[in-house]
Amino acid sequence: MLALIYFIILAVIAVGAACCVFLSKHPLYGGLSLVLTMLSLAGIYGLLGSPFIGVVQIMVYAGAIMMLLVFVISVLNAAKDNRTPMFDGTSIFVLIGVLGLAGLIGFALVLTPLGFDATTLRGSVEMTSSNLFDTAQTGPGYFVLFEVLGLLLLSSMGAAVLMAKKRLGSDASVEAASEEAIAEEKEEK
Amino acid sequence: MTNLPLWIIPLFPLLGTILLGTVAVVSSGSKKGPSEGFVGALSVLFPALSFVSVVLLAFGMPEEGIRQTLCNWIDIPMLKVNIGFLFDGLSRVMLLFVTGIGSLIALYSIGYMHGDRGFTRFFAYINLFLFSMIVLVLSDSLLLTFLGWEGVGLCSYLLIGFWNHDLNNCKAANKAFIVNRVGDIGFLLGMLCLATLGGSAILNYDALNKFIEMLIAGGHVELATPIIAIAGLLFFVGCTGKSAQIPLLTWLPDAMAGPTPVSALIHAATMVTSGVYLLARLSRMFSVIPEVLMIVLIVGMLTAFWAAVAGLFQNDIKKVLAYSTISQLGYMFMAAGASAYDASIFHVFTHAFFKAALFLGAGAVIHALAGEQDMRRMGGLIKKTPVTACVMIFAFLAIIGFPGFAGFWSKDLILERLYTNAPFGEFFYGVGLLTAVITAVYMGRLIIMTFFGEYRGPKEKEAHIHEAPACMLFPMVILAVGAVFAGYLWADSLGIKFFEGTLAPVVGVAQDFVVGKLAVAHVNPMAFACFGTAAALLGMFIAYAIYGTKRLPRLHAKWGSAPEGFKADWTFFFDYIHSIFIVMFKAAAFVADVFVDKVLQAIQWTIGAIAEIVGDGVSSFQARKVRVQLTLSLVGLVALTAVVLLTGGLF
Amino acid sequence: MELQPIFIQMLALLLFAIGLATALARRNVFFVLMGIELALNAVNLSFVGFAKTLPAAESVAGQIVPLFSIAVAAAEACVGLALVILIFRNRESVDSDNYSNMKG
Repeated sequence: MLALIYFIILAVIAVGAACCVFLSKHPLYGGLSLVLTMLSLAGIYGLLGSPFIGVVQIMVYAGAIMMLLVFVISVLNAAKDNRTPMFDGTSIFVLIGVLGLAGLIGFALVLTPLGFDATTLRGSVEMTSSNLFDTAQTGPGYFVLFEVLGLLLLSSMGAAVLMAKKRLGSDASVEAASEEAIAEEKEEK
Repeated sequence: MTNLPLWIIPLFPLLGTILLGTVAVVSSGSKKGPSEGFVGALSVLFPALSFVSVVLLAFGMPEEGIRQTLCNWIDIPMLKVNIGFLFDGLSRVMLLFVTGIGSLIALYSIGYMHGDRGFTRFFAYINLFLFSMIVLVLSDSLLLTFLGWEGVGLCSYLLIGFWNHDLNNCKAANKAFIVNRVGDIGFLLGMLCLATLGGSAILNYDALNKFIEMLIAGGHVELATPIIAIAGLLFFVGCTGKSAQIPLLTWLPDAMAGPTPVSALIHAATMVTSGVYLLARLSRMFSVIPEVLMIVLIVGMLTAFWAAVAGLFQNDIKKVLAYSTISQLGYMFMAAGASAYDASIFHVFTHAFFKAALFLGAGAVIHALAGEQDMRRMGGLIKKTPVTACVMIFAFLAIIGFPGFAGFWSKDLILERLYTNAPFGEFFYGVGLLTAVITAVYMGRLIIMTFFGEYRGPKEKEAHIHEAPACMLFPMVILAVGAVFAGYLWADSLGIKFFEGTLAPVVGVAQDFVVGKLAVAHVNPMAFACFGTAAALLGMFIAYAIYGTKRLPRLHAKWGSAPEGFKADWTFFFDYIHSIFIVMFKAAAFVADVFVDKVLQAIQWTIGAIAEIVGDGVSSFQARKVRVQLTLSLVGLVALTAVVLLTGGLF
Repeated sequence: MELQPIFIQMLALLLFAIGLATALARRNVFFVLMGIELALNAVNLSFVGFAKTLPAAESVAGQIVPLFSIAVAAAEACVGLALVILIFRNRESVDSDNYSNMKG
C-alpha cells in the first residue's frame, strides 16, 4: 500500500515534469524539468528493487547528460530565439498520431495479464557486477558488450571533438563533452 | 656428403641473384660501374658451387631418389602445396648439365660481355635464370615446377631484350614472352584438369603416378581417360610453347636478338628442353593416353622436318642454329611421342653439349668479327680462329651424327626407337632419316660458309679478326670434349647402357607399359647405325657439292636476311597464321567494343531515363519537412499496430 | 490495493508518448533532443518493469540492458549536441525545419 502511494507521488511528479518539458517555452526550463523527471524515475527504480539502475540514472542521465545539454543551451544562448513558434500545424498531426499509437499500445497492455514474481532478483550492485564481469559463470556475452560500449563511447567522443572543434568559443563545450564521456566510462566500471 | 640438403642447390644462384642485383642497383648511378673481375668471379662462383653440390648429391643418390620437403607453401582449404624437392635419375641428369653448362657459359660470358654497360645486370639475370631452372627441374610437384616454368620465361624475356636500346630487341622479347604465355595457359589449365580429377594433392608427381597406377589396377582407366587426355593435351600445349614446337615456334628464331651466351644457355641447352623434361616427368600419365602421344609424335616430326628445311635458307649464323635447335627439339618430341623418354632425355643431354658448343663458337665468331652475324660476310676463318673452328667442327660432327660423336648415339637411338616402338614406325623413321640428311646439309653449309673459302667481308675489318680470349675458349673446349664423348654414356651398339639405367626408375614403368603392348620387331642395331652414318655422310656430301664450290649465296640474294633483330626470314606461314589469329581477335575485340560502347550504353541511358522520370513523378509527393516525414512514418506504425491488434497477433 | 506492473507500464507508455510528441511536435532542436532522451528513459522503465514480472534467472537481462541503453544514450547525446553546435554555427538557427535542404 505504501509502495503504491510512493509510486503515485513519483509518477505524478514524473509526468508533470514531462508535460513541463513538452510545454515550456525556453529550452533551459525544459532541460531542468527533464532532470526532475529523471530523478523521480530513479526513485521508481529504487521502489521496484533495482537501486543500482536508479543510481546510474541519477549519475549519468541527470548528472552528466542533462547537465551537458543545459550547458550547451547556455553556451549557444538560443534563449533569444523568439521567432520560432512552439507549435505549428504539423504538431496537431503529430499529437493525433502519438495519441493513436499510445491508445493502441495501452489497449494491448491492459489486455495482457501481468503480475510481479516473488523470486525476482534484486538489481543490486552485486548482482549487476557478477553478471557483467564473472565470465566464468555467465559467459562472455555481457562482458564483450561492455567492452564494445567502451569503444563506442570513445569513438563518439572523437567524433564530437572533430565536429565541434572549429572556431568560436565552442572548445569549452567539447572538452566538457569528452570529460563527460570519460567520466561515464569510469562510473560504469 | 649425401646428407646435403637439396635446397642448397637453388640457394646458391638465388644468393647470386640477390648479391649481383644489389651490386647492379647500387652501381647504377656511378659512371664506371663495378669491377668486372669481381662481378665475374661472383657470377661464376655461385653456379659452380651449385654444380659442385649437385655432383656431390649425384654420387650418393639412392636408386629411388631423394625426396625432401622444405616447408609449407600454400595452405588453404582445397589446396595444400609444400615446397618439396625431388632428386631422382631424371632431375639428376637435368641438374648436372643445367648447372654445369650454366657455370661454363657464365665463365664464357665474362669474356663476351666485356665492356658492356649492363655487365652486372646480365649476370644477375643469368643467376636468376639458373635458380628458376633448378626449381623447375628439382621440384616434386607441378605447381612448383610451374613457378620455375614462369621464372625461366621471365628470364628469357629479360635476356632477349637485354640490349633494350634497340626497339627490335624489345619486340622480339615481347614476342617470346607472349607466345610463351599461350603455352603457359595450357600448363595452368592442364593442372586444373588434373586437380578436378583427383584434388590438389595429385599435383605432386609421386601422387600422380600412384593415382595412375591405382586407375590401372582398378580398371578405371577408360572412365578417367577423357579428362586425362585433355590434361595431357594442355600440358603438351605448354611444352610446345616452351620448347618452340609447331604451332608456337616463331618466337625462338627471334629470340636470337639476345646476347649469344644467352642463346646458348637458354634457347639451346636448357630452357627450351624443359618441355621435353615435363613430358618425361609426366610419362606415367601419358602412357595411358596413346592418342595424345600420337599427336606429340606427329607434331615433333613436322617440327623437326620443317625447321630443318627452314634452316637451309638462313643467312644469319645464329638463326641457322636456332632452326637447328627447333629441329633437334622436334627429334626429342618424336622420341617422347614414341614412349622413348630415356632416348629423348639422352638427346637433350648430348644436344646440350654440342648445341651449346655451336652457339658459343658462333658467339666467338661474332666476337671476332665485331658483331657481324651474316654468314655471307664471313669465310676462311679457320686460318684466323683455329680453336673456334675446331670446336665448331667437332660440334658439327656431333649434331649431324657422325659415327663416334655424341649426336650419333642419341639420334641413332631415337631413330631406332621410332622404328620399333611407334605405330607406323617405318614412316616416322624415314622422315627422321631424311631430316638427318637435311640437318647435315644446312650444318655443312654453315661450317663451309663460315670457316672455309675466302673471306668475303669488308677488307678493313680483316685485320682485326682475332681469336677469342682464354676464358671464352676454355668453356668451348670443354663443351667440345663433351660433344665428342657424352654419347658414350649410352652407346647402344657397343653395349654400354649406363644412361638407360639411371633413368629407368623414373620413366621405365611408363615405357614398359606402352612398349610391352607392342610386338617389338627385333632389328640389328648395327643396321640403324649404318643408315645413320650414311645419312650424315650423304648430307655432308650434298653440302660440299652445293656450297663447297663457288656457288655461295651472294649478298643481295633473293632471300634477304636481316642479320639481327625482329623479323625472321622463312618462318613460312606460321607468322601469318598467328597474325590471322590476332586479326580475328582484334575483330572480336572491335565488335565487343562497339557492343559495349553503343548498345550497352543505350541500355544504360534508357534505364537511367526511366528512373529519372519516375523519380520526378514521385518527388511531387515528397514532404519537405523532416518532422512531417517522421510523423507520417509514425502514422504508418499506428496503422501496423492496429492491424496486428485486429488480426489477433497478440492474443 | 498493491502496486501492479501494469501501472508501471502505463507510466512508461505515458512518458514515451510525451517524449515522442516533444521530439516531433516541437521545432526547437533542443526539445527534439530532450524528447528523445525522455522516450529512452521510458523504454528503460518499461524494461525494468517487465523484468520484475519474471522469475529469478530471466529477470537479469531486463535489469542489465538498461545500463547499456543509458551508455548508448550518453554517446548519442554527445554526438547529437556536437551536431547541434555544428549546424548552429552554419545556420545560426535552432529551428529544425530550417535545416532541411530537400525540395517538395
